[in-house]
Amino acid sequence: MTATQAGTAAPILVAEGLGKSFGAIQVLHDLDFRVERGEVLGVLGPNGAGKTTLFNLISGDHAPSAGTLHFDGRALTADPPYRRAQQGIGRTYQIPMPFSKMTTFENLLVSASFAGRKRESETYDRCAEVLRECDLWAHANTPAGQLTLLNRKRLELARAMAPGPRLLLLDEIAGGLTSEEGKQLVDLIRRLHARGVTIIWIEHVLHALMAVATRMIVLNFGELIAEGTPHAVMDDPEVQRVYMGIEA
Amino acid sequence: MADTPSPPAPPRISVRTQTLSGRLALAIGAGLIVTLLSLPFWASQGTIRSVVELCCYIAIAQMWNLLAGYAGLVSVGQQAFSGVAAYLTFVLAQNFGINPFVAIVCSLAAPALLAVPVYALLHRLDGPYFAIGTWVVAEVVRLIFTNLSYVNSGAGMSLRVMTQYTALERNIAICILCALMLVATVGGSYLLLRSRYGLALTAMRDNPVSAASQGVNVGRLRFLIFVAAAVGTGLAGAIYFSSQLRITPSAAFSPEWASIAIFIVMIGGIGTIEGVLVGALIYYFAHQWFGAYGASYLIVLGILTMVVALYLRGGLWGFFSRFVEIPWFPTRRKLEPRP
Repeated sequence: MTATQAGTAAPILVAEGLGKSFGAIQVLHDLDFRVERGEVLGVLGPNGAGKTTLFNLISGDHAPSAGTLHFDGRALTADPPYRRAQQGIGRTYQIPMPFSKMTTFENLLVSASFAGRKRESETYDRCAEVLRECDLWAHANTPAGQLTLLNRKRLELARAMAPGPRLLLLDEIAGGLTSEEGKQLVDLIRRLHARGVTIIWIEHVLHALMAVATRMIVLNFGELIAEGTPHAVMDDPEVQRVYMGIEA
Repeated sequence: MADTPSPPAPPRISVRTQTLSGRLALAIGAGLIVTLLSLPFWASQGTIRSVVELCCYIAIAQMWNLLAGYAGLVSVGQQAFSGVAAYLTFVLAQNFGINPFVAIVCSLAAPALLAVPVYALLHRLDGPYFAIGTWVVAEVVRLIFTNLSYVNSGAGMSLRVMTQYTALERNIAICILCALMLVATVGGSYLLLRSRYGLALTAMRDNPVSAASQGVNVGRLRFLIFVAAAVGTGLAGAIYFSSQLRITPSAAFSPEWASIAIFIVMIGGIGTIEGVLVGALIYYFAHQWFGAYGASYLIVLGILTMVVALYLRGGLWGFFSRFVEIPWFPTRRKLEPRP
């Protein structure tokens, strides 16, 4: 998708002057960016660049110190996390945080009925479908705490997908997986994208990100240092220096 | 959402929420409630008194289990709520001439009204700070009642109006109230956990941050649970002291109530309804058989609690459930393919 095509509809997420500091440490500084409907925006940056903090600001886990966020034209800044989930922002955590004593199916029921604002019985079919789609069908009645890492990552994704979000935040979902497992996950994300879900994806597993992302932004020390198509961004000398340690 | 590429054909499914053991337990539970209601006609005064005590333990522990086990609110000051409800019962019956059994029901307004400002005051505190805060509140309430001449200060009150009823009438009324209390606290918790809000509560128990990110309004649910637990605990306090016919601030607001609830829930298994019943029975029989040993009995109970806390996190019920899954109060949603 080119920038002009995407520009025809209003962007789904707009950040203006977004900043976050913890005490004296400024983690994000005066960030401006927009996410267009239907794109997969890759977020790249060395450790400590502020990527997960950015997600925490979007999902509402942290309040920004400066700036505003608009989701679908509506100011988000004052909404608590549960309300953002109900508005259609789904997120996965870098370290999976399943409801470990509940079964995989029950994990999905929670998000489908609360984030999705539906009666429990109305979500059964949808949750079963998402389980199938995310290759978790065989583990539907397994307590989430007993799942393997790959399946816990799938569960993070499935749980975020169950309510049918409009914006999905993926935080290092491919990290820690074997390349074969990573490939399965990439296929899954590609299928979700093909059905119109907008995705922001933080990832260190570059080839996975490059395979799906339609656009990328790069953060370093809380500032946006590059933005563009995946290949243009990776060819940027500043990105090569900061992210891969290649001196020009 | 566009439907390309099409997902696999929608699976035909059904969701099972009841089990054979659950149905059996419901039947046994109904039988026990009927037995409880029939007690006044065949059991001795001593038996009735100790059964009433057991019912109050179950109710208080079940409420503490909802609070600590699901909402993550570890309170050691629930005696504030049982105490104010019991006191209001005595005041309504003695000073306003209201039928004491009606007074018990009316008195539930006190814990509900007290819970709102207490929660407003304490809800920002985390874990141990919250626990200490609740303890402080309970002590403050105790001190207020100890110095309030309207309720006869530290000397306490007697429920003399009860003398207008025969022992049988009193026993019938108390047993009916106990049955209602068990249905409300145990049955109510069961229904709650099987409802949509049960999903949210169980999710909160497992991971409150994650629950909020999945659309659960954790703050509001905690508040509602806090008020509901205050009312349930208040009912137990009102019934207990009405059956004792006497109340003093030191008995009504004794931290021992919190210790009993914590012991029962820890031993039985936190975060399960079955655990509370198991723990309550263990405490009840330990108290009946060994209570006379005084301090050494308490030391043994304390050591037992520590051993369970260290080595059997899920309590006895959790340990048992590792080997066989026969829930008495099933709350699982089991997904089954339908042919």
